[in-house]
Amino acid sequence: MLEYILAKYNFWIYVILMMIGLYAMMGKRNLVKKLIGMNIFQTSIILFFVSIGVKAGDATVPILKGDGHGHGEHLIQVADYLNPLPHVLMLTAIVVSIATTGVALATLILIYKRYNTLEEDEIMAIRKDASSYKTQR
Amino acid sequence: MIKNWFKLISLIAVTMTGALLIYGTHDMPAWGDPNSPANSHVSPRYILEATQKTATPNIVSAVLADYRSYDTLGESAVIFTASISCLFLLRRIRGRKEGEGKI
Repeated sequence: MLEYILAKYNFWIYVILMMIGLYAMMGKRNLVKKLIGMNIFQTSIILFFVSIGVKAGDATVPILKGDGHGHGEHLIQVADYLNPLPHVLMLTAIVVSIATTGVALATLILIYKRYNTLEEDEIMAIRKDASSYKTQR
Repeated sequence: MIKNWFKLISLIAVTMTGALLIYGTHDMPAWGDPNSPANSHVSPRYILEATQKTATPNIVSAVLADYRSYDTLGESAVIFTASISCLFLLRRIRGRKEGEGKI
């Protein structure tokens, strides 16, 4: 039982992080809190992928020992280096998350300038008032 | 209250999603298993051949900038699009007078 927990507990931690992010995106009404929830969600995915590439034992970061021109690398063992592919893919994911966060923050600035609030229900109330005003006229 | 009702619904949905995912980790390989599918199918080829093919000791940068350089090019397109859209979104404010955009 303890062995099973030790083999899986990191995945459970990432699932809990993902639940926190998803709940913040769905349940919170402040738009900045929704954005923070999205970032927590992305962080949990990134941690999950990086933890897939871990190899137990003496594995180190995937930088080969040697001069990089075919000398000194003839003893490469696959078990000596971590899996490089999740690291590469998560670099791409980090870039995408930065881009989405930047655009979302710029949009939030515009929303705040227009409605003077970032609470979702207040924005909806303002929009409702404006549309009823328009139909009256 | 309608708001608390919605929060309860979202809490139930999130809990169900999390329970499903935790149930799914039952089939995942153990943490740090060197023989897991992710570590034994494609990545050994990169670890063994990347240095000979790209003359780069750092396998991550070899894959990022050599094997997947088109991916990195698209990534820079993503960053460019995001920065341009930030620029246009924020520039609109400064040209407009204060209070002009209010409803």
